Amino acid sequence: MSLADGVRGDLKLTGLHKRYPNGFVAVQSLDLVIPQGSFFALLGPSGCGKTTTLRMVAGLEDVTKGSIHIGEQDITTAKPYKRPVNTVFQNYALFPHLTIAENVAFGPKRRGVKDPKGSVKEILALTELTEQANKKPAQLSGGQQQRVALARALINRPDVLLLDEPLGALDLKLRRAMQIELKRIQEEVGLTFVHVTHDQEEAMTMADTVAVMNEGRIEQLGAPYELYTNPHTTFVANFLGRTNLIKGTVLGREGSGADEVVKVDMHGTVASIKASRVHTDAKEGWVGIRPEKVLIQPEGQAIDAPGAALSGAVVVDVSYIGVSTDYVLRMPWGQEITCFEQNTGRRGGLIPVGTKVDVSWRPEFAFLLDSAQDAEAGIVEED
Amino acid sequence: MASLQRVFGKNSAYWLIGPAAVWLAIFFLFPMLSLLTTSLSDPAGSPIYGYDLTWRLQNYFEAISDYWPYMVRSLIYAGIATLLCLVLGYVLAYAIAFKAGRWKNVMLVLVIAPFFTSFLVRTLSWKLILADNGWLVESLQWLHILGEDGRLLATPFAVVMGLTYNFLPFMILPLYTSLEKIDPRLNEAAADLYSSPWQRFTKVIWPLSIPGVVGGTLLTFIPASGDYINSDLLGNPNTQMVGNKIQTLFTDASDYPHAAALSVILMVLIVGMVLFYVRRAGTEDLL
Amino acid sequence: MSEVPQEEEQKKGVSRRGLIIGGGVAAAGVAGFALLNRGGGGNAAGDCVTTDLSDTEATLNMSNWPEYVDEDDGDYVSTLTTFEQETGIDVTYTPDVNDNVEFFAKVRNQLGACQPTGRDMFVLTDWMAARMIDAGWIQKLDKANIPNVDKNLISSLQGVGWDPNREYSAPWQSGFTGIAYNKSLVGEVATMDELLTRSDLKGKITLLTEMRDTMGLMLLAEGADPANFTSDQWGNALEKLSKARTDGQVRAFTGNEYVNDLAAGNIAACVAWSGDVAAAEDENLVFLPPEEGMMIWSDNMIVPVQGMHKTNAEKLIDFYYDPVQAAKLAAYVWYVCPVEGAQAEMEKIDPSLVDNPLIFPTADFLASTHNFMALSEADAAKYEQEFADVIG
Repeated sequence: MSLADGVRGDLKLTGLHKRYPNGFVAVQSLDLVIPQGSFFALLGPSGCGKTTTLRMVAGLEDVTKGSIHIGEQDITTAKPYKRPVNTVFQNYALFPHLTIAENVAFGPKRRGVKDPKGSVKEILALTELTEQANKKPAQLSGGQQQRVALARALINRPDVLLLDEPLGALDLKLRRAMQIELKRIQEEVGLTFVHVTHDQEEAMTMADTVAVMNEGRIEQLGAPYELYTNPHTTFVANFLGRTNLIKGTVLGREGSGADEVVKVDMHGTVASIKASRVHTDAKEGWVGIRPEKVLIQPEGQAIDAPGAALSGAVVVDVSYIGVSTDYVLRMPWGQEITCFEQNTGRRGGLIPVGTKVDVSWRPEFAFLLDSAQDAEAGIVEED
Repeated sequence: MASLQRVFGKNSAYWLIGPAAVWLAIFFLFPMLSLLTTSLSDPAGSPIYGYDLTWRLQNYFEAISDYWPYMVRSLIYAGIATLLCLVLGYVLAYAIAFKAGRWKNVMLVLVIAPFFTSFLVRTLSWKLILADNGWLVESLQWLHILGEDGRLLATPFAVVMGLTYNFLPFMILPLYTSLEKIDPRLNEAAADLYSSPWQRFTKVIWPLSIPGVVGGTLLTFIPASGDYINSDLLGNPNTQMVGNKIQTLFTDASDYPHAAALSVILMVLIVGMVLFYVRRAGTEDLL
Repeated sequence: MSEVPQEEEQKKGVSRRGLIIGGGVAAAGVAGFALLNRGGGGNAAGDCVTTDLSDTEATLNMSNWPEYVDEDDGDYVSTLTTFEQETGIDVTYTPDVNDNVEFFAKVRNQLGACQPTGRDMFVLTDWMAARMIDAGWIQKLDKANIPNVDKNLISSLQGVGWDPNREYSAPWQSGFTGIAYNKSLVGEVATMDELLTRSDLKGKITLLTEMRDTMGLMLLAEGADPANFTSDQWGNALEKLSKARTDGQVRAFTGNEYVNDLAAGNIAACVAWSGDVAAAEDENLVFLPPEEGMMIWSDNMIVPVQGMHKTNAEKLIDFYYDPVQAAKLAAYVWYVCPVEGAQAEMEKIDPSLVDNPLIFPTADFLASTHNFMALSEADAAKYEQEFADVIG
């Protein structure tokens, strides 16, 4: 079933700016194009402006400056009830006095659809709620309520469906299941989904494109793989998973074209980083490497990596997780870095604490970031 | 009961219910029996020498046939006052619940502030405000809203206004309580789902505030229909309500049996209307 | 009772049997209650007289009408304060009698059940005092304690029909019921007919809730004698009253509170008591006897059977029958003084009042006044009910 019919168009935010009466600037000159039919995620920590952006698109928040277009249609100042946009609210905001079927039929009725029964039935089937049609929201589980919220919005075939932390209230297991479910539904109906979340895993699993927001701006936009493997800022590097950032001094460039690399001296060891992964022009920089890309071997044993090995690291902590093992290593200059090792069985055991190890990685996985940026930016507190 | 017993032991539940039961027995049951007894007594008796219980049901028929216009007037006045209270109270309660921000508590205190002075004094002060030579009447005359001989005091308007004023807080508080419980995001959700402001009100806010509406209208209508102070102080002989009639029958006419019968009729009528109303509104669980 | 089950029967979940049992329980309750609560009146009164505590308690609780006693004001020491100083008796004076029947309703249950009302003395109008004495609710006064009354009570008030030897009562003040109007608002209102029909008075008049005052004047206007009228005459007078009420001529039926409305201009004219108008001290307010005549009445001090300070009450009665105090009171309240010799004393207080007929009426003046017929309990009940039906 496809709900996406006719000519709609991309969602275009131009110079979008939001300043609250108390002076707080939530969104700063945001430019964004979300292609029709895509699953787009706005990812960022709380207070980054992602929800405000969403609410401006929905018309629930006034725009201070800038414009919002869907295709050619300017909806910047349109009343919320006159926008071809629907929202799945955080905590769902289901109407408690109406049954599930009535909740779902709410939008069509307001738009003057005489008998929305057929489409209600269809959408309830799509969201697997047929059994619950005559119940009240309070009688449903969290996951079911979430699907009602989705159905209630989807039935209107909006040009853009906005999802505001739709899975935030669900427990982990259900959240996983619903991520897959949402993705399935989006593919089935083919509508533009704009999904706001602070959960990087959720954003990466579901979205075609992710925009990472921080302090009212977009830090980086791209496909999940691109964002993860080649972050442009320390914030993105840290917010999307964990990163080891090692101080380095740029020595110079070698090669050209796709093979161009930048040589960086990290505390005496020289590493090569592909020019396309270098995001600073300064003399100093952060050499970034994801923990799972870090390879270790007890001192003297061969490492399966072409790059230069850092020697003299000591294992200070070992966490055995089953599928993998986390090692914390103290480098000779005192910094601690992390290494996630898949338990493929090749090692035949763990490396005990106190073991001296050599450290290396494949050069194509490293990236170089501006050393002026905070190495701690975007690190998510464990909750 | 079961949970009370679990907490307090097998017999203590009765002890906990006891005081209220005794209180009700003394201050509700006993006067009720007295009222019923008097209402079925022979009106030939007198307050001095007492009345004989002759199971005289005619008292009821006579009370209805003689005094039904007072009953009707009471219901009309109380109905109008309740409606006015609902409109005024709803707007205010809505504002307090959703728009007042940090002034919420201040406004709630202001709503109940009139209770710090007596009902009688507040009503009497309206006599001053509405007086024939008072500033209000003279201003209205100057504006030609009232004629030269026009007046406000001692008119049905003044009585209904007094009822509205005196019972407004009883409307606002339950309305506020039920409006305040409504998640403001429901309003946003309705807006998102193509509802104009008016539709948001009729389809979401209003249905969700029904418990408050029912509670508020009952708390306003019931005492208003039995009230006699407002009509006594602000009305004229032609605006007398059933409460005034009952009072006159008890005091001036010393006709206790008919007064008692009229009281019982009023009570039964109101209980009947309340049951019907609550059933229609689908809020039985309120009772 | 019968309505309740009929309505309830249609409800689900309430069984017919339950209703029958419930109705039975209620009926039994009513019958039981009636047995417990039988009678209450007169017969029990004789043995209901309480012990007099005056010897040990120097207090007196007194209920009177509003604006009916002088008050301390600057250097002026009121009669009540003088009494307290002279006797050491602490008087709790409560002006809570606004209307005879209303006050009666307030105290009847206690009096009937031989319970204290918390009051040692009331001041009530003739007919109500008569009714209470008749019910046996009033104590005889000890003549030895009130020599001034025997000595000074004016002859016209000695020996009234309901208390021939003044054994139970002593008049506090007498007064006239006539017409009052606010001359800043309307011209003179000379007759009851004018009061009830003049268009400039529409909605601007009040009448008294006291049946004998209002109906007395109505009967006079009808050409009847209030002291001896037929039921036809009563019917006509009542008819006229009813019409005035339905036409909206009458703004309210009131007790004492009419004075404020008259002064404030909410009403332009009313049936009024003579002293109230003078006591209001508003030169626009005029009291006048209607051309067809006025009503005269007295308010009487009486001591209920459960009044616990009878001797103290008698001291107060005797005190107010001292011509000096009586003149002082009369000069303040402007009602008819029942005390012989007060007129002479008034010379010293305010010579302008000596010849005021509202305070010291001459025989001629009294000739134009009328009493209301003494009514049997049954007639009183009938007339009061009919009157109440018109005013309420």
